[in-house]
Amino acid sequence: MRQLTRWLPEWASPWAVVAFVFGFAVLYSLPLVISFDSYTHGIITQAFVFAAAAMAWNWLGGYVGQISFGHAAMFGVGGFLSARLLLTTSFPFWIAWIVGGLAAASYALLWGHPTLRLRGPYFAIATIGVSEATRLIATYWGDFTGGSSGISLPISEGTAKFSLYWYALYFMAFVVLLSYYLRKSRIGLGLLAIKEDVDAAQDVGVSANYYQDAVLFLSGLVVGVAGGIYASYFVFIEPGDMFGFERSISFLLMGVIGGVGTILGPVLGAFVFVILQEYLIASYPDLYLGLYGTLLIVVILFEPLGLSGLLLRIARLFGYRPRVLDITVGDTKLTAMEEPEAVEPPESDVEPARKEAKA
Amino acid sequence: MEEVVRLGISAVLLAGLYSVMAYGLGLIYGVLRIVNLAHAGVIMAAAYVTWLLHSRLGIDPYLAIPVILVVFFIFGVLLYKGVVRFLPRGAAGGVQSLLLLFGIWLVMRNGAYLLFSGNDRAIRTEYSTHSISIFGTSVAQSRVVVFVIAVLTLAALHLFLTRTYTGKAIRAVAQNPDSGTIVGVNVERFYALTFGIGTSLGGLAGLLLATIFAFNPTSGAVELLKSFVVVVLGGLGSVVGIALGALVLAFAESYAILILPSYLTAAVSFVLLVVVLVLRPGGLFGQRVLA
Repeated sequence: MRQLTRWLPEWASPWAVVAFVFGFAVLYSLPLVISFDSYTHGIITQAFVFAAAAMAWNWLGGYVGQISFGHAAMFGVGGFLSARLLLTTSFPFWIAWIVGGLAAASYALLWGHPTLRLRGPYFAIATIGVSEATRLIATYWGDFTGGSSGISLPISEGTAKFSLYWYALYFMAFVVLLSYYLRKSRIGLGLLAIKEDVDAAQDVGVSANYYQDAVLFLSGLVVGVAGGIYASYFVFIEPGDMFGFERSISFLLMGVIGGVGTILGPVLGAFVFVILQEYLIASYPDLYLGLYGTLLIVVILFEPLGLSGLLLRIARLFGYRPRVLDITVGDTKLTAMEEPEAVEPPESDVEPARKEAKA
Repeated sequence: MEEVVRLGISAVLLAGLYSVMAYGLGLIYGVLRIVNLAHAGVIMAAAYVTWLLHSRLGIDPYLAIPVILVVFFIFGVLLYKGVVRFLPRGAAGGVQSLLLLFGIWLVMRNGAYLLFSGNDRAIRTEYSTHSISIFGTSVAQSRVVVFVIAVLTLAALHLFLTRTYTGKAIRAVAQNPDSGTIVGVNVERFYALTFGIGTSLGGLAGLLLATIFAFNPTSGAVELLKSFVVVVLGGLGSVVGIALGALVLAFAESYAILILPSYLTAAVSFVLLVVVLVLRPGGLFGQRVLA
């Protein structure tokens, strides 16, 4: 363990590394040990992909505090571009996904760079406009998206589809690492500073424009790749579903249900969401919007940290006393599972300044 | 040229409706610093209530205006007292109220879907096909009536906010709630009142919409965005600003038909929203809205 600590950067906890490796190994070998039917297999793959997308949403919505109602725009761009690439070229899956993801990230930057300078509700409302405009354009640009009848990919059931489980797992694992990095490293502190007070962050040398653009780019990249994997798995995609408002809401819901601003909350949220969707919504298709709405209301009113907050409460009942770092969601102080050793001075050159002042 | 005049007239008439729905949103945002995403649900719900009153009880949509105003005022006050009151406000707290009111909108949409199905509904009265002639072009009568009602509402609102004690108190609370408390204004009461008035304006907008367009449970989403565009364009300063913002939006939309393929005209307001937010976050005429 001490060897590991020396090898790691100071913001990374060795226990987190051990937990990550263990979790990855279990999920990797799961379909080899237990033979899933293709339905369960599909649900888990889907949950991996959505977990990644929800974490990406959370970087923007939770870490920086810029709520996006428009992540479907990037999901759709990534999905359709990689689907087109898979149809017209003989690229392997992963190249098509990455190209789709990069295109989605560039698109995100295109509209995000100007709009991210807006704070509060303005960015959120602008994202509704962006995603709706994107959906309209995509629906009518039939040559590329197949219009409202969509496009189908020539992927058959079988080993190629089965292997998507591991691709999705690698993808989610990568995003978990990135999520951890974006929270715990110096960058994470910068993001927290921007969320709390943009002007104060600027004053201590955290460039809000640069950081937010970077986070949006990464967020768009991950959501775009998620769209690509989703398209490859479901074989058939159409603009109304890929770019739809419901799609945007789903990322938001996963983040909110799991816990806005937490590292692994969105993963939890994504699994709950996918299970809800498969078992509950399938039986009551007329009720899904109301159910999502009710979930949002309940979470915001009673447990703003979602399932993560709930787990924390249960852990407290059993005598778990985390050393705490206050996280603010809005004006409310929330207490989240955070190791205080992650808190380091955001700017090292503050120290000399202070010494000078003393002198 | 005739086409240009015709589009101009329809733009002006449309702007009346836009300013009513935008004022509801703008008032609540201006005073409480909350973006009421449930506004979309209110517009939709009011359209259905109007439709119910007309088809079941035979009440004329325009005579239903007082009913709608009262019903949605009460709804707004209850919404405020029931949930919104407990949420943090301001730029930083916007996230929570945004998500909560969004949830309420989703529930309302689902409710309407369960009650009335997803089919389009429209209100047909014996005079809905009548038209009158303005500057040589014929215009649907109902559009003109909607415009007149909208202008009267805005005028009444302007007088209310500038001439009455209650209106002045609302504006005082908007400017500085703490100072309002010091001089004896019961801030909470005026927040509830404002939320009620904003919601009832949304209700009125829904009623007016229902007399012109067909609607379904997803209606209101586009109206919400357009309201926001108007608020951003016009700023929160005054009724005049809102009216000018509504005019800009209505003209942009109407004349877009001349240069854009018809399926893209729906995207005009969204693109306008983003462009205006980026170029003039302070609004074209009003005060800065950027926190």
